[in-house]
Amino acid sequence: MSNPLDRQAAALFWIGDSGAAILMAAALAGAVASMEQGAGQGHLALAAGGLIAAALLRAGMQIGATNAGEAAAMRVKTNWRQRVYPGILVAAPGDRRMLGEAVADAVDRIEDLGGFHARFLPLRRAAVLSPLIIAIAAVFGSWVAGVIMLATLIPFAMGMALAGTAAARAAARQLDALSRLSGLFVDRVRALPVIVAFAAQDRIGRHLADATREVAARTIDVLKVAFVSSAIIEFFAALSVALVALYCGFNLLGILPFPAPEKLTLGQALFVLVLAPEFYLPMRRLAAAYHDKQVGEAAVERLEALAPASPPAPKPAIEGPPALRFDGVVIDYGETAIGPFTLDIPAGTSLALRGSTGVGKSSLLHALLGLAPIGGGRILVDGRDAAEVALPGHVGWAGQTVAFVPGTLADNIRLARPDADDAAVEAVAHLAGLGPMIEARGQGLALPLDHRGSGLSGGERRRVGIARVLLKDAPLWLLDEPTADLDAGSAADIAGILASAAKGRTVLIVTHSAELAAIATKEMVLS
Amino acid sequence: MDLLLAEAIGPERRAFRIAGLLASAATIAAVLLLGLSGWFITGAALAGLGGVLAAQGFNYLVPSAMIRLLAIVRTTARYGERLYGHRAALMALAAVRARLFDRILSVRDVRAVSAGDAVTRLVQDIGALEDNLVRKPALPAAFAGAAIGLALAWLASPWTSLALLALLAGLVLWAHLATPRLLASAATDMAEALARLKASMVDYAAASPEILAYDLAPAIGRSLAVETAELDSARPRFARGEAIIDAGLVLGGGIAMGAMLIFSHASLPVTVLAVLAAAGAIEALSGYVRGVSRGALVAAALSRLEGMAGQPSAPVRKATASMAPARTIAFDRDGMNIRIMAGERLGISGKSGSGKTSLLETLAGIRPAGEHCGIALDDQLLASLPSEDVRAAFALSPQDAQLLSGTIRDNLRVARPGLSDERLWAALEVACLAVDIRAMPHGLDQWVGDGGARLSGGQRKRLSIARALLAGRPWLLLDEPSEGLDMATEARLAGHLDAWLRETGTGVVVVSHRPIFLSLVGKGRTINLKDRR
Repeated sequence: MSNPLDRQAAALFWIGDSGAAILMAAALAGAVASMEQGAGQGHLALAAGGLIAAALLRAGMQIGATNAGEAAAMRVKTNWRQRVYPGILVAAPGDRRMLGEAVADAVDRIEDLGGFHARFLPLRRAAVLSPLIIAIAAVFGSWVAGVIMLATLIPFAMGMALAGTAAARAAARQLDALSRLSGLFVDRVRALPVIVAFAAQDRIGRHLADATREVAARTIDVLKVAFVSSAIIEFFAALSVALVALYCGFNLLGILPFPAPEKLTLGQALFVLVLAPEFYLPMRRLAAAYHDKQVGEAAVERLEALAPASPPAPKPAIEGPPALRFDGVVIDYGETAIGPFTLDIPAGTSLALRGSTGVGKSSLLHALLGLAPIGGGRILVDGRDAAEVALPGHVGWAGQTVAFVPGTLADNIRLARPDADDAAVEAVAHLAGLGPMIEARGQGLALPLDHRGSGLSGGERRRVGIARVLLKDAPLWLLDEPTADLDAGSAADIAGILASAAKGRTVLIVTHSAELAAIATKEMVLS
Repeated sequence: MDLLLAEAIGPERRAFRIAGLLASAATIAAVLLLGLSGWFITGAALAGLGGVLAAQGFNYLVPSAMIRLLAIVRTTARYGERLYGHRAALMALAAVRARLFDRILSVRDVRAVSAGDAVTRLVQDIGALEDNLVRKPALPAAFAGAAIGLALAWLASPWTSLALLALLAGLVLWAHLATPRLLASAATDMAEALARLKASMVDYAAASPEILAYDLAPAIGRSLAVETAELDSARPRFARGEAIIDAGLVLGGGIAMGAMLIFSHASLPVTVLAVLAAAGAIEALSGYVRGVSRGALVAAALSRLEGMAGQPSAPVRKATASMAPARTIAFDRDGMNIRIMAGERLGISGKSGSGKTSLLETLAGIRPAGEHCGIALDDQLLASLPSEDVRAAFALSPQDAQLLSGTIRDNLRVARPGLSDERLWAALEVACLAVDIRAMPHGLDQWVGDGGARLSGGQRKRLSIARALLAGRPWLLLDEPSEGLDMATEARLAGHLDAWLRETGTGVVVVSHRPIFLSLVGKGRTINLKDRR
């Protein structure tokens, strides 16, 4: 994290806002005092100017507090993004629905943290110090008024403590009921095809309307309690104004029912009167931001679940082509389970897996990388459990989808091995058959690409993937239908490139194509 | 655009009015409290200076009683306003939800609405509306604050009142002028950056094995950082815009106080009264101004909701449950020409992606039939029939068995109104699920979890089949009925269905790749869909 001053900046600005409020009160009191003493127009204009200057300062402080709060929130959000995004990017493929929800969670829940860090936290820090500063300033006008303010704080704190727990519980219940209702609504909209297909619109609609009315009615009962806490703030804010006004008035009249502890002037009295509402303002602001706290805390809970646990301990990397063994592996997606599969791939040989769609060929590759949930059996790499071997980052992969980052073609190929020099990148690009395309575009390897690889054909994108495999020069290759959906010419071409480069490596190929399967040492049909 | 909201607010108008009145009362009490206190102190100071006699002549009883009264009025009125305002907003929102649901039901392609992202956005947009509704009493409160402020300023001099009026008008104008300039573009940028970020993440996640294999997450994180940077620049812009608009009010308050001091020709106590009342009147604007600035977000939410709900259409016609026509289905597409009569059976096979599921969905009336879909019902093209008539002919058990979050009974009774428990159990018997349900602790009242998550895949499937059986439609549509079932259950289910179809004289169209279900329809009754991609 950055230095503590940065983190406290927003709170300091809010405290500064209270300071500016003191200046405003002083300017106003000064102006009225000078009018009372019959001072000239010049004095009055000066005081009015001071008043406006203090207001300007206050406005600036509030803008500053917002800016600093947003900056602090952004740092927190950036932190969370770094923790959560890697997990989302390597989510198990094939589970689109879950992916959609996970992405929405990762993006929206992180945004939900904004209000908590930008508003609630700085306001909470300021709410501790600001009232004290106001009370101290008030002491300079009238120490009794300062004491009145602080004294109302005691019953206020007791009232809040009493109402606060009830209100917090009530608010939590309300939030719960509302989210259940949203859940019900979402559920019924999601099941719309069923409802419509069975012409159950009327019944479901009535049920939903009843449920929303019922929840609304219950929520209102709950809110009655929740509003007590804001009523307490409101009451003491009003009380502090009234008490200060009455004390000052009676003091000035000299008719206090007790011996006057001090002799006030009009300026002093006005000063403390204007400060009285400012005393409770930080707490009112904090109460208004309470919703941000609830949303923020709920978001943190969701994000903790999404973020991967502490980084894994370093694992031994594979040295040389490994021997792979799938021992009765069952992949369990919860609703459907596939397997058991048993395969053996001796070191330095290649195996082509064939079989009809949906039988689980790709899932086996994913399981090897830890992307598919294993429900039974074991995957062994050189006799060690696959989870205990550092495969990610140390294998060659070519699949049907190729990831691109904004940058040049060379940058994109080099992703597989960041320390590769230009000559190596150029060599694999040509080896992968990208030569004709590079020449046609006339920009060489500096061809700019966006994150979708727009402008490249399906075959060219696949060849970028092949170039990465070649550049990586890893002892283990995992190929997931690298030639699917390609025209016959390109497919044969790529099969040829892979055949010659795969020699001496352990290679697991998933494919429908007999041509590609033919390059493997062994072929196996899964059913 | 506001139609949806106006309809929902209608019945709650009284409650909103009461909330508005209470908000006005609270505002007036707040302005008066501060103004009167200032007047009281100043008057007391002057009287105190005048000596004991003047001090004793000063009537302090009425003002001091007023100050105490106003403190209490302010508190209670504010509490009442919160209560009535939230009650009205929540009730109106309940109506919005119900109405929105009714309207969504009349959308032509229901599948588009039920997609996950659309639904979550729906909930967020309703949240934005709630914000808008809760702020409704802010407008009468702003008016009341302005009125009392202007009246008290008038006591000082007509000029001070006029100056305050000009300032108030200027601040309202400022909010309305600044909102589109400072907030509108930031609001749209924010929404667009969010959408782009999500889209890129989904794109990248499609290549997750490659990302893992080459450890590309850091590089891709850097690429995503470009999009998050856009988001991170738009959001503070929005917050800063709001803060600047609010700061206008703070500055306006200072200017108002200064102006009262300079323009007042009245006695000092009245001047102080005007000064504090003017500050209060401007503070009373803040709720309204915040509403204006949030309007940028609400407008976007409302238009999305309107777009999603479509135009208000005629109420959904009751399907004629007694005797749906639909005796024959004729397919004329891809060189196939098939005609099946009521009570007959048809199997459909084909590779994935060949359009089997979309064919069933079109028949079931939940996917709009194109002009050239080549399906006719009783010799009328599907596209020319009202979708309710099409739906009334078919009962679909879809490929992904969609269940409601509710009990087993809730899920079965969606099929048709007025179903007795005996009927439910009979259907569960046919679907080979009765034994499972009896074993559950709550039987038919067993909670199935969110979307049926507490049931196994096979149980969900069979529950959805039982539901389709209960609908009592002339045709049953089964999409991969044996998914998630073991061989023995599969065989029993096929046998039960065979008997049930014969007894009830119901026709069936079944999509499956399992021989046992294709044999259910009889030899030569299976068509093979060609890849249409």
